Amino acid sequence: MNFIRTVIIALPKGFYTTLKHLFKKPVTRKYPYERREMAPRYRGKHYLERYDDGTERCVCCGLCAASCPADAIYMEGGETDNGERFAKVYEINLLRCIFCGFCEEACPEEAIFLGHEYEFSDDNRDSFIYTKEQMLANRPKEKPFKRIIRKVRRIF
Amino acid sequence: MSSADDNKVTLTIDGREVTVPRGMTVLEAAKSIGIEIPTFCWHPKLKPVGACRMCYVEIEKMPKLAVSCATEAMPGMVVHTDSDLVKQGRRAVLEFILLNHPLDCPTCDKGGECDLQDLTFAHGIDDSQFDFNKYRFIRDKKSTFDDYRLGPEIIRNQNRCILCYKCVRSNKEVFGEYDLGAFQRGNITEIDTGPGQQVDSIYSGNLVEICPVGALTNTDWRYNIRVWKTQKVNSICQYCADGCNLTLWKDRQKIYRATSRRNDAIDEGWICNRGRYGYQIANAEGRLTVPLIKRGERQENATWDEAIELIARRFKEIKDKKGGVCIGGLAYPGLDSASLYAFSKLFRTILNSNNVDFRIDYKMLPEEPGDLYTQITSRKFSIAGIENSDVVLVIGSNLINEHPITNLRVRKVVTQKGAKLYTLNPFATKSGDISTDEIIYRAGTVEALINGLCVSIVEQKLASDTVDASKLATRVEPNTVAQAAKISGVEADRIVGLAQALGEAKHITLITGELLSTSITRDAITAAIMNLALLCGMAENGQIGFLSKYANSKGAEKLGVMPLLSDSLIAEMKTLWGGYPEQKGLGADRMILSAKKEEIDALFVMGSDPMLCYPDGQFVREGIEKLDFLVVADLFETRTTQMADVVLPLSSIAEMSGDFVNLEGTVQHFDQAIKPLGQSMPGYDICNKIASALKEPLFESVARMQPDIMRLLLREENPEIQRELREVKTSVEQASGEYTVPLFVVDQAHHFAHLTERSKSLSAFCSEAHLELSPSMAEKLHAETGTLIRVESEVGKVILPVIISEHIDNDVAVVTRNFSANPVNDLQMRKQRVDYVRLTRVEEK
Ligand code: SF4
Ligand code: SF4
Ligand code: SF4
Ligand code: SF4
Ligand code: FES
Repeated sequence: MNFIRTVIIALPKGFYTTLKHLFKKPVTRKYPYERREMAPRYRGKHYLERYDDGTERCVCCGLCAASCPADAIYMEGGETDNGERFAKVYEINLLRCIFCGFCEEACPEEAIFLGHEYEFSDDNRDSFIYTKEQMLANRPKEKPFKRIIRKVRRIF
Repeated sequence: MSSADDNKVTLTIDGREVTVPRGMTVLEAAKSIGIEIPTFCWHPKLKPVGACRMCYVEIEKMPKLAVSCATEAMPGMVVHTDSDLVKQGRRAVLEFILLNHPLDCPTCDKGGECDLQDLTFAHGIDDSQFDFNKYRFIRDKKSTFDDYRLGPEIIRNQNRCILCYKCVRSNKEVFGEYDLGAFQRGNITEIDTGPGQQVDSIYSGNLVEICPVGALTNTDWRYNIRVWKTQKVNSICQYCADGCNLTLWKDRQKIYRATSRRNDAIDEGWICNRGRYGYQIANAEGRLTVPLIKRGERQENATWDEAIELIARRFKEIKDKKGGVCIGGLAYPGLDSASLYAFSKLFRTILNSNNVDFRIDYKMLPEEPGDLYTQITSRKFSIAGIENSDVVLVIGSNLINEHPITNLRVRKVVTQKGAKLYTLNPFATKSGDISTDEIIYRAGTVEALINGLCVSIVEQKLASDTVDASKLATRVEPNTVAQAAKISGVEADRIVGLAQALGEAKHITLITGELLSTSITRDAITAAIMNLALLCGMAENGQIGFLSKYANSKGAEKLGVMPLLSDSLIAEMKTLWGGYPEQKGLGADRMILSAKKEEIDALFVMGSDPMLCYPDGQFVREGIEKLDFLVVADLFETRTTQMADVVLPLSSIAEMSGDFVNLEGTVQHFDQAIKPLGQSMPGYDICNKIASALKEPLFESVARMQPDIMRLLLREENPEIQRELREVKTSVEQASGEYTVPLFVVDQAHHFAHLTERSKSLSAFCSEAHLELSPSMAEKLHAETGTLIRVESEVGKVILPVIISEHIDNDVAVVTRNFSANPVNDLQMRKQRVDYVRLTRVEEK
């Protein structure tokens, strides 16, 4: 009796499941060749925004650093040629960062954002000190409608 | 509970009854019981103006809200500080203040410590009913915001200003400066300087500190760091003997600014720019970080061990051959007490020599410990005590430059309490604008003038009866007012007038400064002043301040960093150390003289630059060149370190903890802010290393040594005042030949000793030595500001740019010292009381 239940009935059932999945779309991806689109609010590697005219938005106010629970942000202020404040040095230690997104929340100038990039691995610790230049370069190409949304949001 | 006492009033604040002195405002009454009322324009040390209306309270039976900072507390008042009406009033006031405010907190340097931020957060609403464009000041067109320089270090952003007028008020009321004002009115009111003026007074940094918002900021702090990232360290200013209390703001190994730390006994919350910007020397370029040893012609980097080994070997050789008397030590009196003590102990116990001194800028030091001098200086002098006086007499001091904060106290008692100020100086100073009489005597005749005053006091029968005044005429010379007037060049009736004021005064503060203390006739002047003090009864009703100059001069005196000490101090040292060298020691002047005669072979200079500071540069150079072995410990490369065989890097005051004794004798502790730079070391560690290499360590740890130091510092020497008039005979030197203009070598307000040149902010105020002349003198030379003038004395010459003085009106040459590029000490002669110079224009080719 037992034999009939476990072999004769269950075996084809199992094969059937396998067979069924052969014809379905696979769940896995060929990761390095195929990347996944992250959820819109995913918090990955940071990037720094610029104004439309190309100047940096960040004014080195220090609020991101103040809100950072991991104390991952370091900055030094400086003066631009026309007397404005800017960040001479701006670094995030990605090894300390917990990707909480508080820095993005705190920023009054809408300068820092957490992007969608999630590939961090490297073979030395120094390269995890993420500098201002890297963060500015990391800024994603914005889709036009997103920019409009952001502008509208800024008005309110 | 209405009190019978007329000087008290009782009122009710928030349901609590409080009794306060009459004349107090409602705000202060509330503060006294711990009720906080928000304010912008109120400041404890300024008169109320009621400009901001933030301090609204509701007072029953008054029709409208009242400004508590300008409303006097009256008996029976019932005050509410937290009613709905008050809250509504505050909200409205904030809305008005924010009308034109740019709300640029992220870029504003005040962000995080701004009163407007805090109060808006606490009492404001987050919206505004006004929706028109904000009014914008933009003075500087290249900028997108107002960014206007009012002075070398102060930047104004008018858009942030809330028009509390604290800056303008403190500038006028407290500092007596009129270079800032409020112009225009309404929306476009502007805080600005008068035409062609700059905010560059020695007190100007306080305006930034007093500004409740970020309208005034200073360049050193600007954009560098946010306030919440810094740590505060308690410190004491090292740039004069006032001993103002400071807070250093540091992050990691860098100091970002210094602010005042209010101490009502000393500074009342104000500091001068030297204190505010002088911290920059710690992080300045060019600090010495490793020991250097001279090999051949060059000084090369070495390790501490090599340097100490060399010093010990050479000192030992010299000591064994000729005895400790052949080694001398000069210490900078702006070092901490522990270093000075270790220095003295090193010489006295290990090297067996009494040749230690700190008086690096005195001409011809006296041989013996001045017994009269001790009688005067061991008496209590306090800065706060100046407020009890009805007459303040300043002799031989450009007080604003020498002691900026003592000067503020004098200003306060004169302008707010109605005291009279008399100044006796060889040239006019800024104090003249508030003096009842500013007496200018002929250079080098101050004793004659004081004698004249004494005689006049006796003649007017105003002399105190604690002293036998009848002998005066036989003891002093000149002994008539007419003669004194003739010698000193002061009109006789002004002498009589001053004598009358002194005789009638109830409490006198007498202050003497550098122009007397460094003079070679110091003893005669001291005796003359003692006579005057006795005749006016100052011993009972008054105080005499022989103000010491450096941050720790008083400490150095008490710790015995001098060759000849009083017997009681020697006894004390014997008990502490179990021994004391027998031979008499040499003072700074004599050490250099002996070096020149090759009687002193080695010199250890700690922290000072005699080549630049000591009167008679030529003399010092010759002395130092003859030395066999010169060790210099300093922060920077100086003229003296360039000649040294071994140079040791010294730590700055910010890099250690320790204490200073200010001019009143108060011992004040400062904390360590940052780690010693490079391999530099505090003075006490250097002395200890040398001592260990020679024989045995001076101490196990500084903390263990502290009780000994405190024992000396807190020791009171109490010599009886001898109530007897002294002999004071005046001898007058005349100018001879072609050198006819009296020369005065003084400190510039923004420069102190050889150190502050390295501070970037301070050199923005003043970066080179100059020659200050009266307008008439300048005209004679056809000189304008900036014209180069050759100043020649019998022994040297320098070329200096002219500035035309606002005060000086007689024919004197006032030059600023201690700039390494222009060693004006070359002009001075060490044996001459007044140096005379010749001025000629440098012709442009
Ligand atoms: S994401 Fe969070 S932890 Fe990371 S830097 Fe920003 S605030 Fe710090
Ligand atoms: S990123 Fe934003 S919050 Fe951080 S310093 Fe720059 S402006 Fe301030
Ligand atoms: S500059 Fe500052 S201190 Fe002066 S009036 Fe404006 S807010 Fe007040
Ligand atoms: S008055 Fe003297 S002690 Fe005070 S801050 Fe100025 S230099 Fe320093
Ligand atoms: S604090 Fe009272 S009106 Fe400004």
